[in-house]
Amino acid sequence: MSSRFVSLAAVAVGCAFALGSSVVAAQEMAAGATTTARPMSANLTPITQSMLDNAAKDGKNWLHSNGNYDNTRYYPGKQITSENVSRLKPAFVFQTAVLESMETAPIVDNGVMFLTTSFNHVYAIDAATGEEYWHYKHKLGPIVTVCCGNNNRGVAISEGKLYMGTIDAKLVALDAKTGKVLWETQIADPDKGYSETMAPVVVDGKVIIGTNGGEYGIRGFVKAFDANDGKLLWTFYTIPEKGHEGVWAKDDATGRDEHRNIDAEKAGFAKDSSFFDKLGGGVWMTPAIDRKTHTIVFVVGNPSPDLYGAIRPGDNLYTDSMVAIDLDKGTYKWHLQFVPHDVWDLDAVSPVILTQARDKSGKMVDVAIHGGKTGHVYVVDRASGKLIRFSEAMIPQENMWVLPTKEGARMLPGANGGVEWSPMAINPGLHLAYAANLHQPMTYSVEEVPYPGGKLWLGGAFKVIPTEEQWGQLVAVNLDTGKIAWKHKTPQPLIGGVLATAGNVVFNGEANGWFKAFDAKDGRELWKYNCGAGVNAPAVSYMVGGKQYVAVAAGGNNQIDSKRGNSVFVFALP
Amino acid sequence: MTRSAFTALGALALAASALAQHQPDPAQVAAGREKSAICAACHGPEGNSQDPQYPILAGQSWRYIYNQLKDFREGRRSDPQMSPMAAGLSQEDMIALGNYYEAQKPERIKFQFDSAKVEAGRKVADAALCPMCHLGGFVGQNEIPREAGQWPQYVKKQLSDFHAKRRTNDAGNMTSYTANLSDQDIEDLSQYIGNLGP
Repeated sequence: MSSRFVSLAAVAVGCAFALGSSVVAAQEMAAGATTTARPMSANLTPITQSMLDNAAKDGKNWLHSNGNYDNTRYYPGKQITSENVSRLKPAFVFQTAVLESMETAPIVDNGVMFLTTSFNHVYAIDAATGEEYWHYKHKLGPIVTVCCGNNNRGVAISEGKLYMGTIDAKLVALDAKTGKVLWETQIADPDKGYSETMAPVVVDGKVIIGTNGGEYGIRGFVKAFDANDGKLLWTFYTIPEKGHEGVWAKDDATGRDEHRNIDAEKAGFAKDSSFFDKLGGGVWMTPAIDRKTHTIVFVVGNPSPDLYGAIRPGDNLYTDSMVAIDLDKGTYKWHLQFVPHDVWDLDAVSPVILTQARDKSGKMVDVAIHGGKTGHVYVVDRASGKLIRFSEAMIPQENMWVLPTKEGARMLPGANGGVEWSPMAINPGLHLAYAANLHQPMTYSVEEVPYPGGKLWLGGAFKVIPTEEQWGQLVAVNLDTGKIAWKHKTPQPLIGGVLATAGNVVFNGEANGWFKAFDAKDGRELWKYNCGAGVNAPAVSYMVGGKQYVAVAAGGNNQIDSKRGNSVFVFALP
Repeated sequence: MTRSAFTALGALALAASALAQHQPDPAQVAAGREKSAICAACHGPEGNSQDPQYPILAGQSWRYIYNQLKDFREGRRSDPQMSPMAAGLSQEDMIALGNYYEAQKPERIKFQFDSAKVEAGRKVADAALCPMCHLGGFVGQNEIPREAGQWPQYVKKQLSDFHAKRRTNDAGNMTSYTANLSDQDIEDLSQYIGNLGP
């Protein structure tokens, strides 16, 4: 176990969370500005709705942060295979100006790559050589409120425009050719705890984006903005004004008793049920879009305050849930709550993947799957929102669901999971999902504290247990059976995300700098390269000039405090 | 009280502070200077308080000052002198005052430190993980205050108030972190922190 992880994670309540932000001091360019290194490639193509819809079959480009609207992170090209990946070599390294967490999934449009850094820089570079076209740096407002780092997970692209959510809670539209700002809109008030780190998604002229802030007493949402001018089209609040108390569920979705004192909660609710606007429920990662049924499917984060539940009686809908809403109007369709009245911050973060799997009777149906901090992959019927199955536990579970105490109660998984925000990938032919897991033993302690006005509000603390080992595990889960097909243990907890390809390869990065390739069927390690800093971002793949490339950011990560870097590494066969 | 070993702690802390350095906005600093005239009566010239019961504001993180003023105004923090002071401040006032004080140079206090207490306090700080949020040297960042060189008497009062839950405007984080500190620990820690000044 690395003392580095002990020290960082031991402060979970204070610093792993409470880093607000400021503008980085030593920057040569003015904020809100774009510098141009060379004229944009003539190959840059305006991305049409049809191209976005067919991205799953497009081996040339990588047009969505998770590959396609279904979030499968499955690349259709097969030039790189499990037979030849051992020969993979670096093609180039692109170094950014920002030495801080990198969580970006680069977008590639006909040989032009768009990537983002912490503090909301955007770069456009040549995806075959790494030469820079332009560099944009967002001008941050005076107040930035982030729990878990100043990172950014990438842009969305459509019709010649790029869209980025910023840590000061803005949505910015850039001209993809020049990097100049087209419009900018304030999504919510950062002084109340709102910020953005997710990659938005663009569909039918709408930019869809969720929000951070579940650690600050916000009211979570998914919003749709007009892609042309940034006007707000609709808002779906993840916390309904009435009815958030739900059904007073005793158990979690897997049927385990959560030891709730329902009587005490009901008494509390009768006294005060007006807390919907501080109940939390952020939406941390890119929603999936079901084009056939015009449905947006996403998962919702934890209630506020994370640990102190008595102040927020009831199921706290729709926190810790998978939710489906209508794409055109943002109206509710269904939900499935994984952890009612969560007091462990085991919220639903990793993005939903839309795919097919066998239902309980063996029939192949449309499903929505999610890898949970709880350590299970959930398989949900996409039409009804009913749980079909949940997988075997991917990491150790102990003492679920012991209640937090003043002194601290030990439970596995720790509050980072399981699967944190790291996107999974699937191999649709194998019916396997691949999940990046953390094992971080923690104690959960609770403090009765009032709303602190836009400051970090955990209602207690998560403390790492320094004497217990931490590690990670990449796990392949069979979606039809819920059984683990293979697993690969890593020396540090995993955070970042997975890429799967039609060449029977799975790519995953580690905090110690290793970027590895595995056989998708049996998990044999086939190749690795050390990038010199934490590989804690999801990889992407694309083709230029008939050559397949794999790109991944190696900038380390704030949450697990892995070694920081500033670069995107790109690999290809020699 | 438990001790934990973190060999990389210092390096991590310094790295984080380099990245998080904030440059006060000159326009805000000028506006804040005007508004700060009344504050000098207690907090001293340019925020270098000469009285141990009033905290030094010079060099303090603007976001921390902004949050405290907002909390005094909205009742989340209470002090018989500060609460009325903050009552009439607007958000612009608070941002300006924060920037002004952040831009001022803190001076070393005239205080007789007890070297045994200072050394004991250093051990308390390491074991209680203070530098993880307050950073190495207690220079602070964003909403986490700079404490280096602060009046020990003031630091002691705040730590005791957090410990006893008389002060709760940080959502209990400091209450958690002071939970296992004895009165002697707090005394030692206050001296250690005060001695970190320029």
